[in-house]
Amino acid sequence: MAAKLSPRRRLVLWLLLALPAALMLQGYVSGTALALDLERPSGEMAARLIVLALLPGPLIEVFGLTAFLRGWLNARRNLGVAAFLYSLLHLAFYYGDVGSLRAMLGEIGLSGIWTGWLALALLIPPAATSFDRALRRLGMTWKRLQKLVYPAALFTLAHWLLLDFAWHEAALTAAPLVIAYGLRAYRRWTLYRRQTA
Amino acid sequence: MTPLARLLVLPCLLVATPALADGNVTCASGPQTGWKPIASLKKQVWLEGWTLQKAQIEGDCYEVYAQNEAGQAVEAFFHPVTLQKLLVLRRGQEVFRAKGFKG
Repeated sequence: MAAKLSPRRRLVLWLLLALPAALMLQGYVSGTALALDLERPSGEMAARLIVLALLPGPLIEVFGLTAFLRGWLNARRNLGVAAFLYSLLHLAFYYGDVGSLRAMLGEIGLSGIWTGWLALALLIPPAATSFDRALRRLGMTWKRLQKLVYPAALFTLAHWLLLDFAWHEAALTAAPLVIAYGLRAYRRWTLYRRQTA
Repeated sequence: MTPLARLLVLPCLLVATPALADGNVTCASGPQTGWKPIASLKKQVWLEGWTLQKAQIEGDCYEVYAQNEAGQAVEAFFHPVTLQKLLVLRRGQEVFRAKGFKG
């Protein structure tokens, strides 16, 4: 079974992870920020956390299991669950913005919107099975379920690019993943060449 | 080019591919001293039959978040000097573009 963070480290991590949400909610409750203003930061947080949860895999393959990457790997389930929670917060602000379920359904056909819904739906199975008992009981299926995060990441990126008239921030957020997967592909390719040479 | 350098070019190319959306909207509106006050957008939005949620400066444009007559969320760009409606987006999809506007 995957190693886990110590309870103390996990507490510190979750306090850090909760801080942006607390600031957003405080802004909303105090009236300094509209739901409209908070859709973007909450969505961005979700996207960044997805990237952070996906990065250790390729990085470990490229650089080996260093102490730093081991710590990161141990924290990744927390990062993934936090990404899901920020997606829900994002959805809540979206609801607050459009004001009704009918209005939400009215725009579900727009490509910028359904991509977001699909990304959220894809995150549900991995998030719902993120606890230890599910991991033990599901075995290999657990790993397969977690892999839904990859298409979720792609649809998140599509959602962001389609909604945003400036694409730089989306690209910047996705860049570490693209680079990490690029490095991993390069490493696999050189290993393959060495084996077949 | 070394293989590693070649490899690093790929993500850069991927990152540099423009999205389907519009890139940054520009209004060529000159210095802010010549702009009409942002509050005057309220009337423009009212004339459209929209409900204003928020008006702000975005680059050299005025940007408005509103709900149109059908209750749909729209994001619109207005020229800060002429207050002409230049571009309207619905969740990133262009639904209106003023004739000749290329910004």
